[in-house]
Amino acid sequence: MNNNDHINKLTEAALSSLDNAERATAKPYLFTRLNARMQNANESNWDNALRFISKPAFAFVSLCLVVAINAMVITYNYPEKATTVTEEQYASVDEYSSSVTVLNDIENIEP
Amino acid sequence: MNQPELIVQLQQGDEQAFKKLVDEWQDMVYNTAIGIVQNEDDADDITQDVFIQVYQSVSSFKGESKFSTWLYRIVISKALDHVKRKKRKKRFAFVQSLFGNDGEEIVHPEEFNHPGVVMENKERAAELFKAMELLPDNQRIAFTLHKLEAQKHQDIAEIMNLSLTAVESLIARAKGNLRKTLTAYYIKNNF
Repeated sequence: MNNNDHINKLTEAALSSLDNAERATAKPYLFTRLNARMQNANESNWDNALRFISKPAFAFVSLCLVVAINAMVITYNYPEKATTVTEEQYASVDEYSSSVTVLNDIENIEP
Repeated sequence: MNQPELIVQLQQGDEQAFKKLVDEWQDMVYNTAIGIVQNEDDADDITQDVFIQVYQSVSSFKGESKFSTWLYRIVISKALDHVKRKKRKKRFAFVQSLFGNDGEEIVHPEEFNHPGVVMENKERAAELFKAMELLPDNQRIAFTLHKLEAQKHQDIAEIMNLSLTAVESLIARAKGNLRKTLTAYYIKNNF
């Protein structure tokens, strides 16, 4: 029983050990360190961007992209003539072939 | 310069306003962070991260809640992320040690001593902090804000976006769990 009381006292003492604790204070020169870190972050962002741009893979992909865009623009501006055959064209072909037959028929007319 | 003016100037990118804000809030940010991560260097890193985020995202602060509430939320989120990352690293280091590491020793930190605790309570507080590490995140946050930042239950409710009853219940459960852990610890170590 005594031991239980003792343990309970210890537990309560631990639970209330933070009751009068003061605020922990930040390390000195925080603003200076913050400024330096933000400046470094900005510089390293530019460094990273330049490093990325100077990669051969980036240059190759950019070149492909430019070629592809050019090709698209050319295709769009100068479309190929339609290759589909319309019914009218079929009709004229029929007419032509029939006229050829007629000519042949004329040549083959027996005297 | 009052707080709303300071915020407006900060939103306009005024460096002096940022310096003033850092001077005013650094201890609050550091103290909250150190209560959660229980390491001075980590708390310092988190404090810097918090102010960088504040500087970058202050334009999104609409003033719907108190500035302190907004700031507490950022600190808590950063500190919890840090704790999770540290736990993941520990697990990874454990797995690595099973497969044999490169002779690198895993450092288990000594007990944490909060710099604001009076000398006579240092040992008890260290035991309490060890027990706090075992609490679920929400109980830990509520208890930390209540004990270390002396925040009222209503303010904690606002910070954690919970009802007052929910916060009271969280703190009561945190105390219950801490009692259990501490009792088991004292029995085990024959105090």
